[in-house]
Amino acid sequence: MKGSYQIRIESKFLTYSFTVRRNITIIRGDSATGKTTLIAMLQAHQEDAESSGITVRCDRQCVVLTSARWEDNLASIHDSIVFIDEGGRFMRSEEFAAAVARSSNYYVLITREGLDNLPYSVDEIYGVRLSQQYAGLKKTYNELYHIYHPHRVDRREDEVIVEDSNSGYQFFRQVFQDLPCKSAGGKSNIAAIVKAASENKTVLIIADGAAFGCEMEHMDRLINSGADIILYLPESFEWLILHSGLLHDQNVRDILENPSEYIDSGEYVSWERFFAHILAAKTQGTWLAYSKSRLNTNYLDEKVRNQICRELPDVIR
Amino acid sequence: MLHVYLGDKDGEIYNPPLYFLSQYEPDWIMDELSRKMIADVDRSDVISARVIDSPVLGPITPRELSGGVKTLILMAHDNSGKVFNASACGDNCAKWILKIAEQKELTITLHNIMDFGDGPFRIHILNTDETVTNMKEFTYTAIDYV
Repeated sequence: MKGSYQIRIESKFLTYSFTVRRNITIIRGDSATGKTTLIAMLQAHQEDAESSGITVRCDRQCVVLTSARWEDNLASIHDSIVFIDEGGRFMRSEEFAAAVARSSNYYVLITREGLDNLPYSVDEIYGVRLSQQYAGLKKTYNELYHIYHPHRVDRREDEVIVEDSNSGYQFFRQVFQDLPCKSAGGKSNIAAIVKAASENKTVLIIADGAAFGCEMEHMDRLINSGADIILYLPESFEWLILHSGLLHDQNVRDILENPSEYIDSGEYVSWERFFAHILAAKTQGTWLAYSKSRLNTNYLDEKVRNQICRELPDVIR
Repeated sequence: MLHVYLGDKDGEIYNPPLYFLSQYEPDWIMDELSRKMIADVDRSDVISARVIDSPVLGPITPRELSGGVKTLILMAHDNSGKVFNASACGDNCAKWILKIAEQKELTITLHNIMDFGDGPFRIHILNTDETVTNMKEFTYTAIDYV
């Protein structure tokens, strides 16, 4: 499934209105904000459609999936938006991750757990709150808000940790050649490296925002505990290259303008895999031929490197 | 004292709100601590053991309380020895978990890093048999398990 979808769920007392933009959306946050009520309303509509008194407006079918026989039930759901409430332990399983990876559906998962099997974006983690737009009315209007605000890259770093161990790391090692720059060898190792870092060092972490969602609670808690971390989380290294304009390609510009319309959830479980595919396809046979496993040294050419680096925040450029 | 097991634990009640539906007792709702937790977390008033006034949903039964409050009520009143998954609770329940643990030996599981506030507090981590006293210590321990 491609595209972004506006969803409006309504009863006489309560309305939820929000948009899902990618295959995985996470909802978490404080208790009693209305997460389970959202699921209950969808479930009532699923049972009895308009007779339930609940109205659901969306261009795709919205379906609630529960623990009972989830694999069998999910196998019959296609091109839909699947909602799962917390308590569904199966969300953490390898089997569920595999099902999501080959699925034409989008998923809205209510959970406070990291779900490190699932590559979800730092931009698609939300809480539920009362919409201020309708404050004061008798009816309650709920909306989603970003739990983690974009991190401000506002100071210089003492050392750099790059999530990637291949092309991305090879590029940034060159960019930050005057500083200690190491690869974390995967996102799940970053928190441990930060823990072990010296207390008086500012650590810049560069990771693929498109799949770093499961690490965000760790990062947030570390920052609140005083760890001096700067997070730089572009969609991916390949997105950075595409966004730099190096390719002079109108199709690439169109894709970057509205990725949701181009990225099929059945083909790409997360956006960074799509951007890696596009970059490799667009540069195949050219002097910028891209491989994720080993960086083409032309990307380290000063002119090329500078053009890509113009995408970095000013303070670390 | 609060005892926390980080991650999966054999026999834990992973979905306490579901367990609550078939196990709660009406008396638990009328208890002073339950009333305070319902007022604070759900912003709702207990009218009777079976009726609660919610500002959003109107009159509701205990079955429609938030998952967080259901879990807190179980922690406070269920004496079966069951261990409840506190990740069913948001951070706005953390102070109540600490309060319940002032009155009894409370063992919970956590599958995320709950924010217990500025502290100081005393939480016994069962995985390491250490006691942590602030969020930094708790975070640096919890990160290895959840």
